[in-house]
Amino acid sequence: MSLHIICCVKQVPDPETPASQFKVDEAAKKVIPAPGIAPVPSQFDTIGVEAALRVRDALGDVKITVLSMGPDSFRDAIKHCLAMGADEGVLVNDPSLYEADHWVTAQVLAAAIQKLAPYDLVITGRQAVDWDMGVVGPTLAELLGIPCITIVKSVRVEDGRVVADRVLLDGTETVEAPLPAVVTVSNELGEPRYPQLRQIMMAARKQVTVWTAADLGLDPAQLKNRVSLEALYVPQVKVETEIIDGETAEEKVEKLLQRLVEAKLI
Amino acid sequence: MAIELKVTSPQTRRLITALTFFTAILLIPLVSAIAVIAAGGGMGEATREVFFNIVSWARLVAYGATALVLLVLAYGPLSRLRLWLLGRKEARWDRPWERLKAFLMYGIGQGRMPNDLYASAMHLLIFWGWLFLFIGTLMLAFHDDFVEYLEGYVYLGYSLALDLAGVAATVGILMALYRRYLWKHPKMRLGSLWDDVALLWLMLAILLTGFVIEGMRVGVSELQGAIIDVGGGREANPDWAPWSPIGFVIGKAALEAGASDGLMLGIHKVLWWAHLVMAMGWVAWVGYGKLSHILLGSANIFMRKLSPTGAALAGSALEPIRDFETAERFGAGYLRDFTWKQLADVDVCVRCGRCESQCPAWNTGKELTPMGFLQEIKAYLNEAGPALQAARRQDDGQQPEERKVAGDVVSFNTIWDCVTCGACEYQCPIFIEHIQKLMDMRRYLVMEEANMPETAQATLMQLEQRGHPWRGTQLTRTTWIEELAREGIEVPLFDGSQEYLYWVGCTGALQERNVRVTKAIVRLLLEAGVSFGVLGAEESCSGDPARRLGNEYLFQMQAQKTIETFKAKGVRKIIVNCPHDFNVMRHEYPQLDGHFEVVHHTELFARLLAEGRLRPQRMGDLWGVPTTYHDPCYIARHNDILTEPRQVLAATGVELLEMGRHRKHTFCCGAGGGHMWVEESKGRRINHVRTEEATDTGAQVIAVACPFCMQMFEEGVGSVPEAAQKGVQVLDVAELLERSVTFSRVVRRGS
Repeated sequence: MSLHIICCVKQVPDPETPASQFKVDEAAKKVIPAPGIAPVPSQFDTIGVEAALRVRDALGDVKITVLSMGPDSFRDAIKHCLAMGADEGVLVNDPSLYEADHWVTAQVLAAAIQKLAPYDLVITGRQAVDWDMGVVGPTLAELLGIPCITIVKSVRVEDGRVVADRVLLDGTETVEAPLPAVVTVSNELGEPRYPQLRQIMMAARKQVTVWTAADLGLDPAQLKNRVSLEALYVPQVKVETEIIDGETAEEKVEKLLQRLVEAKLI
Repeated sequence: MAIELKVTSPQTRRLITALTFFTAILLIPLVSAIAVIAAGGGMGEATREVFFNIVSWARLVAYGATALVLLVLAYGPLSRLRLWLLGRKEARWDRPWERLKAFLMYGIGQGRMPNDLYASAMHLLIFWGWLFLFIGTLMLAFHDDFVEYLEGYVYLGYSLALDLAGVAATVGILMALYRRYLWKHPKMRLGSLWDDVALLWLMLAILLTGFVIEGMRVGVSELQGAIIDVGGGREANPDWAPWSPIGFVIGKAALEAGASDGLMLGIHKVLWWAHLVMAMGWVAWVGYGKLSHILLGSANIFMRKLSPTGAALAGSALEPIRDFETAERFGAGYLRDFTWKQLADVDVCVRCGRCESQCPAWNTGKELTPMGFLQEIKAYLNEAGPALQAARRQDDGQQPEERKVAGDVVSFNTIWDCVTCGACEYQCPIFIEHIQKLMDMRRYLVMEEANMPETAQATLMQLEQRGHPWRGTQLTRTTWIEELAREGIEVPLFDGSQEYLYWVGCTGALQERNVRVTKAIVRLLLEAGVSFGVLGAEESCSGDPARRLGNEYLFQMQAQKTIETFKAKGVRKIIVNCPHDFNVMRHEYPQLDGHFEVVHHTELFARLLAEGRLRPQRMGDLWGVPTTYHDPCYIARHNDILTEPRQVLAATGVELLEMGRHRKHTFCCGAGGGHMWVEESKGRRINHVRTEEATDTGAQVIAVACPFCMQMFEEGVGSVPEAAQKGVQVLDVAELLERSVTFSRVVRRGS
């Protein structure tokens, strides 16, 4: 039985950028891109590709399509996933969608997924690591009218059903759903694999299909954001340090204990 | 007897080589001269009968046997050559004069041997003794067949010299037997193969029979005066006999014991034939097994890798993959992915154990042993090679079942344990190239299979995405520049007008501890008035970690990028304080057409001190502070920079205490070969072992000259109890110099 898995991937500013480099334009409510910081694929999304590859490792006959929405630079994220072993890449690139919120994003992705049908499984990261909202996956499932299993650490396909272990605070929960379904994966699944050089070179030669909103039969004018950004600022973190002084170590400990008791910390 | 005597001083090593060389060459003339002086004339007729007591057709037997034996001998190397040709092509014939020089210095002169004095003495005695007996036999044949020149003093000198050579070889063999059976030296961990044992006893037997034959001849002819081939006439020449001292003693003893002429001649005859058979057997053996190192080891020295940039070791500069598009396979996964020279390398290894005795991985309980992995490949080459070679000849497209070398014949951990410190290559007397093989296998694992330790994978990903290997750092490449600006020090950016580019390196910019070293270097450069600039945000990884972690593709991308930046900026000379960047820029960038003059900060500071451009205080704070210097592998062993760092330290006034393993015998801190970011597989941590060694010198300060060594020792002094109790400090040579220099120029502009 041939299986088609679609992995949704987003490109984000490097989350490991030193905090000092992170600047916000409060008036325009925008993040100022830090110089020299390369965009990277959102980590949970590459873990999603890893999950798809593991399904393929187990079953063999599986086609994996990587789907993304954003400007041309997002090709790099798609190429990375192709180098990991995905088969095809699709980028929805439409300037009218660059400001899309999760709702519009999910609508566009759902349209693209339907255009890519037949499909059996849609895998996304539990959340994108830039805005950390974690709603596109479930919204997609809603729009496609299929089941959704969120925050999982393993994905298996058995007898036409998807079986996934959900990460709970105090353990795991194994959930089954009929195909097609949406699954969102968490980092507990494991590290995404390192691309082999041959695959990197092959991925470099592969064509990424590019669609616009119109190609998906969508009218950008009809796609309205439902979430609006009220304010954007870097929170102020204040650290106050008090050096406790004393003649001897015992005295310092004494004073420290006193202060801790006063602060009701012990 | 666990001690190991080593000669670390290069002068002494050269002296030993030169002495053995000249003693050997001059042995016969020298001894002849002594003979003339000592005998005071009167023995001008001295000579001996070559086929004394032996039938005349024995000469034909000897020559016939020689021809046969040479054929048998030649078959050995030729059959090995067929196996090596399973490998890929590689040219090792360029610069023949330099190769010949290497052969003379390291083959005939055995220049690598003094690293272990006992083994060196043992091997030199056997080698020179045996060689002389061989040359002596040729001389005798020449005398017998062409010109009779072994007469008079020349003969006496010849006889004495050959007896001495025989004694030397016997002593050497006895030393070897002692080492193998009684000492049970750890270098013979793998035990004895049958030829290890058989050869020693055979050689001892050849020597002893030789002496007894001589003794019988001397006894019967020179002492008793029996002349065989002129019908039993008598003409004793007892004063010739002492010139064959061993024969004289044996002959004399036999006579004293009452042996008759007949008995002695009988013994002589029997042993002569036995000696001939054993000696011929030995010669034939030279083509096979352990003994083949005489030919193949020499050939291996002749075919050593010659660095176009003057790198000290073969493994200092790794071979690039030239064309990724057409490469059949990246790196070496199977036997045929190695070059013929790499297969020859594994074949000529005689398990002497020198490499392993110095290997930081092996000495801290890891799986890697350089000798071990060579032997593993060798065993597999012998097992599978003939079938593979046959299949290739038939060329019917049928490949026999073949084991993978990378990860199967040689284990995953073995391949990943290597820190590329070069101790093995520096030790190997016959110039086996260990590092390239391990790195080729890493390349295969990384680029073909993406099979590597998790930490290595994370580092490579990090490097690819962010252009530096330091995951999670909160610093940027310009943080330290901004910090110095706040102190009023303006760091010049390189714009092509300055003499030097100061290459800060990822670690120097992105690790808090190393930033202090970077700042010290910049202050010193400004104080000395050196014309320099830095690249700031335009620096990226040099590519070294990628290459050492097996991702050659990523290395070439990073290196290419850096070379292009250098060229665009007009860089010609580069100051580098990271030995790894230093090495990659000096020896590996030229492979990608990046030719720059690279100087290590310790070299530059030594020069600035000599020129008086930096003035350290006399009797300053550092005066007499007990300090040990840890030679970084890539500065000392790979690049021969040994004195400059010590000159800088001397200028600071510290008291230098050397560790047992220092200069080119240095022991890696544990961070080489990408191991700065890779967890050690098992055993003790290398940096803890080295920190203990440093602390044991009584030093209060461990001076380093490498950012990775700094990281490793900083961790080490916190974890090794003795170091922590003593509060041992780790400081870069530049930091020590900064503390001792009087700053007089206006370095603090604007404040």
